[in-house]
Amino acid sequence: MAVRPVLELPDPILKQRSEEVGRVDDAARVLAADLVDTMRATVACVGLAAPQIGVSLRAFVIDVTGHRKARSCHGELVLFDAEIVAAHGPELAREGCLSVPHLTGDVVRASSLVVRGLTVDGVDRVVEVDAFEARAVLHEIDHLDGYLFLDRVSSHEALFRRKVYR
Amino acid sequence: MAHVAVTAVGADRPGIVASVTRVFVEHGCNLEDSSMTILRGLFAMMLVVDVPAGVRAEDLEAALAGPAADLDLVVAVRLVPEVAGGGGGADAPAGGDPWAVSVYGADRPGIVHGIADLLAGQGVNITDLSTRVVGGPDRPVYAMLLEVSLPAGIDPEALGRRLTTAAADLGVDVSLHPSDADIL
Repeated sequence: MAVRPVLELPDPILKQRSEEVGRVDDAARVLAADLVDTMRATVACVGLAAPQIGVSLRAFVIDVTGHRKARSCHGELVLFDAEIVAAHGPELAREGCLSVPHLTGDVVRASSLVVRGLTVDGVDRVVEVDAFEARAVLHEIDHLDGYLFLDRVSSHEALFRRKVYR
Repeated sequence: MAHVAVTAVGADRPGIVASVTRVFVEHGCNLEDSSMTILRGLFAMMLVVDVPAGVRAEDLEAALAGPAADLDLVVAVRLVPEVAGGGGGADAPAGGDPWAVSVYGADRPGIVHGIADLLAGQGVNITDLSTRVVGGPDRPVYAMLLEVSLPAGIDPEALGRRLTTAAADLGVDVSLHPSDADIL
């Protein structure tokens, strides 16, 4: 269990499609713990995907607990091989990313989702998320597919310099 | 490395960016930062350029005279002083919390100055500003979007009230809202 260095642009791992985990074994659980520890190491970071710590596997963690924009909240949510089952309702909001320091951007994402994946116990789980939690899930799944928010900004005028680090 | 600020403005047409930036490539310069847009049919470029030793602002201006003549551009090149924290290709985060100010209403002279003067008086730094006139010629609507950085200790609610008063005097509407991003 460790806080791992976070890769930043232009690291090529960030632009690769990550591989399926398939079976949740001890190595996958260590990866999950490292994702949680690394996310917790940055205040106000609410999600982290495995490629951001250099592991090209389909795993991420989110936790939107206490966030003012959150509606649904599943606490600390680790999912392997997650896929979107259903998505509704576009919504625009500004995002930043640990892997893209200095910039933020306005991104349109679905505001409610049904997402399915494997838990750290290897159990198939289906969760319904909305509002900020849905945005976090989509941002992390994008990482697993090699996409950054920069690939999704709604227009060039929707890209901003990040002014505050918290 | 020295930095120069370059501005180029001319009637919009294809090839302006390519022609101007070719001069920088040929002189071994690196584009540090830029903003380019169309203003009322004029393409306006603003760039901060890294200049290698031995290349002077005058050399670049002379080299830009060719494309400026071909494309009917007004070009200026000026040496700029080093800005603390401005190096390394990345922008140092400015101090203060980022907020957005939207101003919109019937077009009339003095809107930008009125709002900017109030912000300056409060120690608020404008970090980005763009304006557009929209709507038909019979009822032009002026829209101004600002990114501002609030100094420590300022009360956003009090600032909002001052802005509302100033906007009312100008006959426009204003809103102030935080523009912080979530780190996902």
